[in-house]
Amino acid sequence: MSTLTAQEHYLSSFSQLEAKLPGQDAAWLKSLRLQALEQFKQAGFPTDKLESWKYTNLSLNLLKEFFTFEVPASTTVVAAQLKKNGFDTDKAHLVVFVNGKFSKELSSLKPLEKGMTVQNLASVLSNETVKAFIGKIALSQNKAFTALNTAFFTDGLFVQLEAGKVLDAPVHAVYVSTNGSQTTQSHLRNLLVLANDSKVNVIEHYWGENVSAYLTNVVTEVAMATGSTLDHLKIGQEDIKGYHIGSLIAQQEEGSYFASRLFSVGGALTRNDIETTLGKKKAECVLEGLYLAKEGQHVDTRTFIDHLSPNCNSTEVFKGVIDDQAVGVFDGRILVRENAQKTDARQSNKNLLLTKEAKIYSKPQFQIYADDVKCSHGSATGQIDEEALFYLQSRGISRDEAKKVLVYAFAGEMVEKVESGYLKPGLKKLVDSWMEVS
Amino acid sequence: MLIIKGLKARVEDKQILNGIDLTINPGEVHAIMGPNGSGKSTLAHVLSGRPGYEITGGEVTLDGKDLLSLSPEDRARAGVFLAFQYPVEIPGVNNTYFLKAALNAIRKSKGEEELDAIDFLELVKAKLKPLKMDELMLQRAVNEGFSGGEKKKNEILQMAVLEPKLGILDETDSGLDIDALKVVADGVNALRGKNRSFLVVTHYQRLLDYIVPDQVHVLAGGKIIKTGGKELALELEEKGYGWLTGEKVKA
Ligand SMILES: Nc1ncnc2c1ncn2[C@@H]1O[C@H](COP(=O)(O)OP(=O)(O)O)[C@@H](O)[C@H]1O
Ligand SMILES: [Mg+2]
Repeated sequence: MSTLTAQEHYLSSFSQLEAKLPGQDAAWLKSLRLQALEQFKQAGFPTDKLESWKYTNLSLNLLKEFFTFEVPASTTVVAAQLKKNGFDTDKAHLVVFVNGKFSKELSSLKPLEKGMTVQNLASVLSNETVKAFIGKIALSQNKAFTALNTAFFTDGLFVQLEAGKVLDAPVHAVYVSTNGSQTTQSHLRNLLVLANDSKVNVIEHYWGENVSAYLTNVVTEVAMATGSTLDHLKIGQEDIKGYHIGSLIAQQEEGSYFASRLFSVGGALTRNDIETTLGKKKAECVLEGLYLAKEGQHVDTRTFIDHLSPNCNSTEVFKGVIDDQAVGVFDGRILVRENAQKTDARQSNKNLLLTKEAKIYSKPQFQIYADDVKCSHGSATGQIDEEALFYLQSRGISRDEAKKVLVYAFAGEMVEKVESGYLKPGLKKLVDSWMEVS
Repeated sequence: MLIIKGLKARVEDKQILNGIDLTINPGEVHAIMGPNGSGKSTLAHVLSGRPGYEITGGEVTLDGKDLLSLSPEDRARAGVFLAFQYPVEIPGVNNTYFLKAALNAIRKSKGEEELDAIDFLELVKAKLKPLKMDELMLQRAVNEGFSGGEKKKNEILQMAVLEPKLGILDETDSGLDIDALKVVADGVNALRGKNRSFLVVTHYQRLLDYIVPDQVHVLAGGKIIKTGGKELALELEEKGYGWLTGEKVKA
């Protein structure tokens, strides 16, 4: 056994990898990567002594794995698989990444009108917009995984809309991880830049087909100018060998509308940080999510809404279903700053525990420094309603089936809230198949 | 059809049923009356397999099949239907979906073909009409926000769709006004037939004017203390239960 720590493993790997990372001709990026590596060195991996990692102790699992930087050969089908899972990809701009690298063959990028860009990030690193935003929204300081991502990212999704542009067909980015006998990792960086009054739907879809443990470390930066609208949806469908660490960080200007919906079903360990800054007046965000965990899964969701300006609204609804010995964490922080008068902030977190061993840590946190605000939050954790279960059984429905009906009655609301006809069938299947094998 | 012999049951440490003997032949309607707390609902629950009761003695068979060893769903599939005294609200579960799932589960267990959405809707609409129920109720969540009367009608609708061998009605009349009571009673009467039996639990004689029983049993202290014809119900209405139990209990 080597006595190398996980941190040292990354630090020593960097010098060998550096020359192979994309953006060799962009000096700004090279120095950004070096700076991030230094920040990672300073911060080290988070321990459960940190409030934000209190219920997710990485030293028990993730930090024991020394994921290699090998890129295994892979063959995978994506579009056909997605279709089978209920997503009619003919109707989307499909952007596929396999083990952290863009796959042109598996993607289908439709022609776009002028003023709209949907590309893989590695191919546009000389773009001024990229330079202007990367690392400016998701800061690496004291954030080990963001710092690692900045230092090591290989590719990701880039979407840019110029003023007034509306992209009707959804952008469906799929990130496949697939390995063999070696552990693997990928660091993906997405950047979404929306100019004034532009509008787009973006789907980040993570999935794995792996033999060995793997890490997906993703950072998505979102810049939303005045009056822009982003409907963002993230599907976490990593396989049971997967560790998924994801950050989705948005900056919102006046009157912008950001909807973020998370559907997390996979992964041995999943951590999602979703943050937005309502930076100018009348900005609005809707953060919703459904996390389903069973067996030994651990799913940790952390949200942070920074009400910086007056007259902004935020609505947050997260639901979790925890089965077997799985553990769920929900940490929802809302900060209403002094200047943010007439804030309307609502948060709700509801959890359903299917066994006595299943655990949930739900932690709503409101910090309110303005006086003229409307804030409400509710957190509730319950079990399957035995009365309802018996009622269904007494009509001939088996106990197992009745349980599924009741779980869907609870969780299905999050699927029903999604208006997109492109997404609904697939999300319903996602939840159904989770229940099927549980 | 239904044979109950020496049935004893308790909840936690409380003995509630103290040896019930009752035989219901095919096509018969039996009424169970008795003061509050005498064990009527307990009997209905024990027959339908509700968890939380410990059977401490006796046996129950339906067409020769041992009921007590079956799960609630298997009892339903064997033909037992309980119309709940307090129907359960299930938010998030659509009434049509629920009814269709129930019917198809029962059909499947009998080796019959499952009904598709169109055939099912046709069937359920036909059953709604005589109950004077609004079709919109099918689109709502099971019993959620239903009035007391709507809930009871929904129970009868389910019974009409599932066509059980044995219908157990637990105080289906409580909380109904006279018009709703008639509708519900008509719904039950329409289901009467030579191969279907009913156990009608009620606190008041009124329901039995509309659903005329073949036999009336008085349950008190977890035992059947008197059995008679339909006229027994009238006698109870007049005199209360006190003359039977030796206590001053009014109907
Ligand atoms: N879950 C329970 N726990 C404790 N006591 C119960 C429970 N259910 C019923 N009982 C008691 O059993 C007795 C019979 O109740 P029940 O069968 O509901 O009577 P009825 O329907 O005739 O009014 C009552 O004294 C009641 O309080
Ligand atoms: Mg009762």
